[in-house]
Amino acid sequence: MTLFTIITKNMRQRALATTLTTVSVALAVALTVAIVHIKRGMEDRFQQSTVGYEMVVGAKGSPLQLVLNTVFNLDISPGNIPWPVVEKLRADKRVKAAVPLSVGDNYHGFRIIGTTDEFGEAFGYRLASGRWFNFSMDALRDAFSEANEHAHERIAKEHGLKPIGHAVHHHAASEAVIGATVAHETGLRVGQTFIAAHGLEATPDAEQHTDNPWTIVGILAATGTAVDRGLYINLDSFYHIEGHEVRDVVKIGASQKGPQKKEEKDNDPDPGQVSAVALKLSSPLYALGLYREINDGADAMAAFPAVEIRKLFSIVGNIDIILLAQAILIGIVAGVAIAVSIYNSMSERRREIAILRALGARRGVIFAIVVLEAVSICAIGGVLGIAGGHVIVAGANTVLHRVSGFTVEPLSFQAVELLIIAGCIVLGALSGIGPAARAYRTEVAEHLAPMT
Amino acid sequence: MASVLKLRQLRKSYREADGNLLDVIHINQLSLTHGDQIALVGQSGSGKSTLLNLIAGIQLPDAGEILVNDTDVTKLSEAARDRFRAANIGYIFQSFNLLQGFTALENVLLGQMFANGSNGGDRAVQLLETVGLGKRLHHKPRTLSIGEQQRVAIARALVNAPPLVLADEPTASLDAKNGAEVLALIRRVCADGRHTLLLVTHDQQVMRSFKSVIPLEDLQ
Repeated sequence: MTLFTIITKNMRQRALATTLTTVSVALAVALTVAIVHIKRGMEDRFQQSTVGYEMVVGAKGSPLQLVLNTVFNLDISPGNIPWPVVEKLRADKRVKAAVPLSVGDNYHGFRIIGTTDEFGEAFGYRLASGRWFNFSMDALRDAFSEANEHAHERIAKEHGLKPIGHAVHHHAASEAVIGATVAHETGLRVGQTFIAAHGLEATPDAEQHTDNPWTIVGILAATGTAVDRGLYINLDSFYHIEGHEVRDVVKIGASQKGPQKKEEKDNDPDPGQVSAVALKLSSPLYALGLYREINDGADAMAAFPAVEIRKLFSIVGNIDIILLAQAILIGIVAGVAIAVSIYNSMSERRREIAILRALGARRGVIFAIVVLEAVSICAIGGVLGIAGGHVIVAGANTVLHRVSGFTVEPLSFQAVELLIIAGCIVLGALSGIGPAARAYRTEVAEHLAPMT
Repeated sequence: MASVLKLRQLRKSYREADGNLLDVIHINQLSLTHGDQIALVGQSGSGKSTLLNLIAGIQLPDAGEILVNDTDVTKLSEAARDRFRAANIGYIFQSFNLLQGFTALENVLLGQMFANGSNGGDRAVQLLETVGLGKRLHHKPRTLSIGEQQRVAIARALVNAPPLVLADEPTASLDAKNGAEVLALIRRVCADGRHTLLLVTHDQQVMRSFKSVIPLEDLQ
C-alpha cells in the first residue's frame, strides 16, 4: 500500500471526471506538440535545403519565388536569364561554382531539372548508386545552336520563306540522375528510362515528350531536402526536348497563340537561357559585393536562400504563435477543469480524508495526495498528448508532402517535449493546490461521526 | 503495573451558539493498565466520542494530561500526534469508517501504512483470517455484510499491534446477533494480543458483558 495506490483508487472512483480532464489536457498537449514539431521540422527541412546554396541568381522579380523555385522545387520559375550571365559568373574569380538550372517539365509530378555534372559535387549530393550523367559545354553549345536553327526553320515556314538549312548535330546521350524519393515512389532504377511530361506539375492532359526518353544512370542518396524529389538531367538534353527551342517564335506570335502558350513561356527556358544559377563563392566575404553588383545590373537578380527562408518563417511564425497561444489556453482551461472537478469532489471525500487522518495520515500527506492526483491527471494527459501529437504529425505528413514536398519525422523526439511534460506537472500542481488546501483543512472529528 | 492510559484533570468544553461554554469532558483521573478491558458508559451526548477523540489525539483538550504509554499526547505537535496515533492506538468506530474504494485487505493495510509505511501484508491477512474473513480479503466493503465490515474495522485497528484499542459504540450499527458476535470478537482478539481495550457504549447488553464498567459521570 503506497500513496500511489490511494491516488489511483481516487482517480478510479471518479473515472468519468478523471477521463474527461485527462483528455482535455491530452488535446492541449497534442496540439502544442504537433505545432512545435511541424514548425521545427519544416524550418529544419527548409534550412537544411539551403545549405550549400550560398546565393542563387535568376530573373528579376520576387527573390522568395526565385529561392523557392531554385532550391525547393516549389512555385513557378520567375523567368529566365540569358546564358551570357551564366558564362560571366563562371568566369568570375569570386565564384567557386556556378551551376545552371533549367526547369519546365515533370515526371509524375516530380520536377525535371536540367543542370551540369557539377551539381552533385558543388552542393555535396552523394550518389547512392550509379554515376553522374555525361555533360560537356560543347554539347550544350551545340544544343543551343540546334535549338536556334529549329527556331529559324519554324519562323521561315510560318512566313512562307525557304529554310536556310542546318548543320548535322550529334546529340549526347540523354541521361538522368534521380533523387531518393523519386526512386522510392516511382520505382525507377538505374538502367531504366522515363519520358518527361510538359509543365511543372502532373496534369492528365499534359503533353508527353515521347521522342526523348532519358536513361537513369544514377540515384542520389537521401538528403531529406527537395533534391530527393528531383530528376536531374544533363542540361544539353533539356534543349533537345521538342518545344524547348521555340521561345523566340512564341514571343513573335504571342498574340495569336493564346494564354496556354503564354504559360509555357513562363515555365520553359528560351534557347541560350536558363531558369537560374546556383552559386558557391570562393569566400563569404564576396557575397555582399557580388549580390549588389548583380542586382544593380539589368539582366538578373541575386538572392540569399538562407535570408529568404528566415524572412518566410518570420511571417509564418506569427501564425504559429497564435496557434500555440490557443493550445496554451486550452491547457489552462483543462487545468481549471481539473481544479473544479477535484474541488467539487472534496465534499464527498471529506469523510475519506477524515478516516485517513484518523488512521495516522498527516495533513501534509493528505495535501500531497490531492496535489499528486491532479499532477497524475496532467502527467497522464501530457504523455497521451505527446503520443497524440506525433500521431497528428504522421497524419499531417500527407498534406505537408503535397504542399511543400517535405515531411516531418513523426517519431523524432524533441527536447521541448520534456518541457511540455514539466509544464503539465506544474499545471497539475497548480490545479491541485486549491482542492488540496480544502482537504488539508478538513476537521477530522466532525467528519468521523456516524452518518445520520 | 505501568499504565497504558492515564488521564489527569482532563477538561474539554465547546462554545455554544449563544456564546456560553458547555462543559463536555471533566475527568479528574482515569488509569488503565496493560490488558485491561473497560466499558465506559454514558448517555448519548455525554461526551463519550469526544473523550475517545481526545485520547486518540484527534482533538485537543482545554486542560489536563493524556498519557498513553507515558507519552503525553497533548504535548505533541499535530504531526507527531498523527504518527503516535497510527503506531499506538487502534480505533474502532460505530460506523466502521472503511474506505469504499478499497478492498478489505487494502483497508487493513491502510492502517499499517501510516504507522511504519510497511507494505508487508502477512499480519493484515492473518488478522482478517482471525476475524473470519480469510476468504473475503479482496471484497470491497459494499459487497460485505455490516457485521463483516465491522470485522474488517477490527482487523484494521489491531494491525499495528497497538497497546491501546479504543472502540466507540462498535455494535451500535449491528443487529443483536451480529453485535454480540462482534463484541465477543473484539474482546477475544484484544485479550489474545494483550491490548488494553477502552470501549464506550450506552448499550446495557454490552455493559453486562464487561467486568469493569465505569460510568462517565463517576470520573468527574
